[in-house]
Amino acid sequence: MFLAFAVFSWASVFAEDDLPVPAEELVFCTVCHGVQLMGNSIIKAPRLSGMETWYVERQLKNFKNVVRGRHAEDPFGYEMQPMAESLSDEQVAEAAVFANATRSPAPPATVIGDIEKGKAHYSACAACHGVDGTGNEALGSPDLTIPNDWYLVTQLMNFKSGARGSHPSDTYGMQMRASAQLLADDDAIMNVVAYINTLQNK
Amino acid sequence: MKNKLSRRHFLSLVGAAGGSSAVYNTSLALGLMQESGPVAQLDLKHIGRRKKKVAVLGAGIAGLTVAYELERAGYDVTVIEASHRIGGRNMTVRHGDIIDEMGYKQVCNFDDDPEMYFNCGPARIPGHHRRVLHYCKTLRVPLQIKANFSRPAYRHDPERFEGKPVTVARYTSDSRGFIAELLHKAADQNAFEKPLSTDDQERIREYARGFGDLNLQGRYKGSERGGRKSGGFVTPAKIHEPLDIQSLLDSDFWMGDGAFNSENADWGEPLMEIKGGNDGIIKAFVREIKSPIIVNAPVQSIELRDDGVDIAYNRKGKRKTISADFVFNSIPTHFMSGIPNNLPDDYRAGLAALTPGNFFKIGFQMKERFWEKEGIYGGITTTNQRINQIWYPSHGIHSQKGVVLGAYTFYDESEFFEKMTPDERLKYAADCGDKIHPEYSRNIEAGVSVPWGRISHMMGCGTSWGSGRSWEGGDEELREKYYKLLQQPAGGRHYMIGDQISYHSSWQEGAFGSAEVALLDLDSRVRAESGESRKG
Ligand SMILES: Cc1cc2nc3c(=O)[nH]c(=O)nc-3n(C[C@H](O)[C@H](O)[C@H](O)COP(=O)(O)OP(=O)(O)OC[C@H]3O[C@@H](n4cnc5c(N)ncnc54)[C@H](O)[C@@H]3O)c2cc1C
Ligand code: HEC
Ligand code: HEC
Repeated sequence: MFLAFAVFSWASVFAEDDLPVPAEELVFCTVCHGVQLMGNSIIKAPRLSGMETWYVERQLKNFKNVVRGRHAEDPFGYEMQPMAESLSDEQVAEAAVFANATRSPAPPATVIGDIEKGKAHYSACAACHGVDGTGNEALGSPDLTIPNDWYLVTQLMNFKSGARGSHPSDTYGMQMRASAQLLADDDAIMNVVAYINTLQNK
Repeated sequence: MKNKLSRRHFLSLVGAAGGSSAVYNTSLALGLMQESGPVAQLDLKHIGRRKKKVAVLGAGIAGLTVAYELERAGYDVTVIEASHRIGGRNMTVRHGDIIDEMGYKQVCNFDDDPEMYFNCGPARIPGHHRRVLHYCKTLRVPLQIKANFSRPAYRHDPERFEGKPVTVARYTSDSRGFIAELLHKAADQNAFEKPLSTDDQERIREYARGFGDLNLQGRYKGSERGGRKSGGFVTPAKIHEPLDIQSLLDSDFWMGDGAFNSENADWGEPLMEIKGGNDGIIKAFVREIKSPIIVNAPVQSIELRDDGVDIAYNRKGKRKTISADFVFNSIPTHFMSGIPNNLPDDYRAGLAALTPGNFFKIGFQMKERFWEKEGIYGGITTTNQRINQIWYPSHGIHSQKGVVLGAYTFYDESEFFEKMTPDERLKYAADCGDKIHPEYSRNIEAGVSVPWGRISHMMGCGTSWGSGRSWEGGDEELREKYYKLLQQPAGGRHYMIGDQISYHSSWQEGAFGSAEVALLDLDSRVRAESGESRKG
């Protein structure tokens, strides 16, 4: 299903010296999410480089308020959830600005699926996430070209099963949960993610 | 279910730290390695004025060893450490120390007293860990004996023996009595594949009687070895009735009987510990090493070039770079997937094939040493409650207070505790303790919990190849594929070190050993440059 080992290729972006440096209280985010929040497939913490400020902020608040990440079938959400608990509102805002400022090369494709079939599925997603997959702030739907593909797979499975998006206060998650039901099975999920891999940035 | 539980506990008890010794390396291709007897002479060539620059990533045992040795051989060394502290997993906490758990930073609230310390990482040093002991001796680090096994301590299974703890002595003695009876009977009936001579039959019966303390008829009627019920000094001794065999068999310790713990290659009595806390070795390194050790400096990238290697790191809000001739990297391999680098693809795949474990410990400061009233002076109680173990301190006997280990867990149990807040963990462990010692929780004055899987810049202890438990050795195919590759310097300049690159992950000896392999390789290369070769 996945390529055995996802490895990043060297890219000159890491050699730039104006890369943002996290404030001391946010260094620990990079312990899991990697340098420049590039993602770490072993820890299963997704890439957040350049992620929309509003979306990061919303997710951190959801984790903090236990709207996301405490479902019994969401082990990775469970890893992240306590990390947000100790953050003040200012730190949440600061973390979102930092995430948005980070830069790293596009993550490698590790998911294998039928791109053509995925493209057909994606027509149902484009209304909210945009034809190019870069999201729509007005609708609250995030850029799908930023996180790692393996993370998109777990999220779609989680939305489908209700491990994410079933908390009564998770308004946006519930919308996405409904949309995830359009993907009939695991194959459909792999296919649509394989297609997302072909969209811009990737 | 029952059997599964037993097996899990067996593994956690027998395995604990570093049972991967079961797969002791017989094929170390490195002809120079001497794995027993006196430690190999490093005898590094002093490079004099042709100074070479070395960057050491991570200030744990492996990194500090490299820094210490290379500095003495004339290299220009810089150590770069992500954490606020030096020592890595070798961590002893005392009053006021920070436990840098991500999400739940804790401060150690023990009394401000040098005797009140807790070894959150390494606690035991066996006599055959030659490298650890070599450095303790060279750096004048004082050691003392640490009791690991204790007969007056307990085995405790809430579902057997009315949930009451049974002393190790009694448990062991009765188990052995039972097995010895079976052996004696087999010898009586000569029930072996190849019948024995009468003489040999008697020899086996005699061994069985000695092993189980049986009477002349080969029956076990209880034994003084199990501890006396009463008397024995000025009144006649009374011994305990043997425990119910079925309950013994049913109990979870049947397989994992603590009696075998001290037979594990790395837990053979007597064990040692460093006086005043096991971070004594770290303090000694810090005292000796003159090169800079930069803390709060997480490495940001590693770039191999033809003529050197560039390391970027963050420090005080700024990104900095240093260039070196060689880099010795002890960063936990699971972070390397999140640190940009241009190491060769197969080398990176090898790093990604190592999976971290998640050891977990709790330490309690007790206001009174109540265990001494029960005749316990050091050693370990094992229970099949989720805390697994209780350890009693070997130092400070008969002083007022002491620090007890209140839980030591692995994998599933560690996950169970990781999901709690620090306060919840302590409360849970205190309740477990009460089932064994009635005075347990009312003596607790302070406590710390250390989930290594959640400690910043560490996130684990006990790497294995692929998935699985560190002491099960991991996936041999993966090791076969990558281990030797990772022992070689990538591009002739990047050495991966740490206990993760050894057959003893989760033992300091593995960390020292990995450093030794890398240093010897570097020395051979440096000598080759000037047309020499290493002797030995
Ligand atoms: C609970 C427990 C019990 C143990 N019991 C024993 C025992 O009884 N006996 C025994 O001998 N051993 C024991 N060990 C094992 C022992 O602690 C280790 O083998 C040893 O400390 C490992 O040293 P190391 O140098 O290989 O790695 P570490 O100590 O892990 O060093 C790695 C260093 O890299 C740093 N780092 C991480 N990321 C970065 C970055 N991005 N940039 C720069 N630096 C970074 C880390 O902060 C750390 O300091 C135990 C360990 C644990 C956790
Ligand atoms: C212990 C490891 C760990 C630490 C430390 C950590 N994270 Fe996470 N984070 C994760 C994991 C794992 C996930 C994926 C959760 C999932 O699969 O649902 C995640 C998910 C997230 C997400 C959701 C991304 C999305 O696309 O919805 C955000 C945002 C995030 N983390 C931000 C942070 C920030 C900011 C910090 C520091 C304050 C931080 N994380 C620290 C492990 C960690
Ligand atoms: C009705 C609008 C809508 C549609 C249609 C929709 N989504 Fe979403 N999607 C959202 C919203 C809103 C979120 C953010 C949820 C949150 O904030 O927790 C989201 C989140 C996601 C995420 C999680 C991203 C992350 O970083 O964690 C994935 C993956 C995703 N959508 C994929 C899809 C796919 C694939 C489809 C088509 C099958 C689809 N979406 C259709 C609105 C939509």
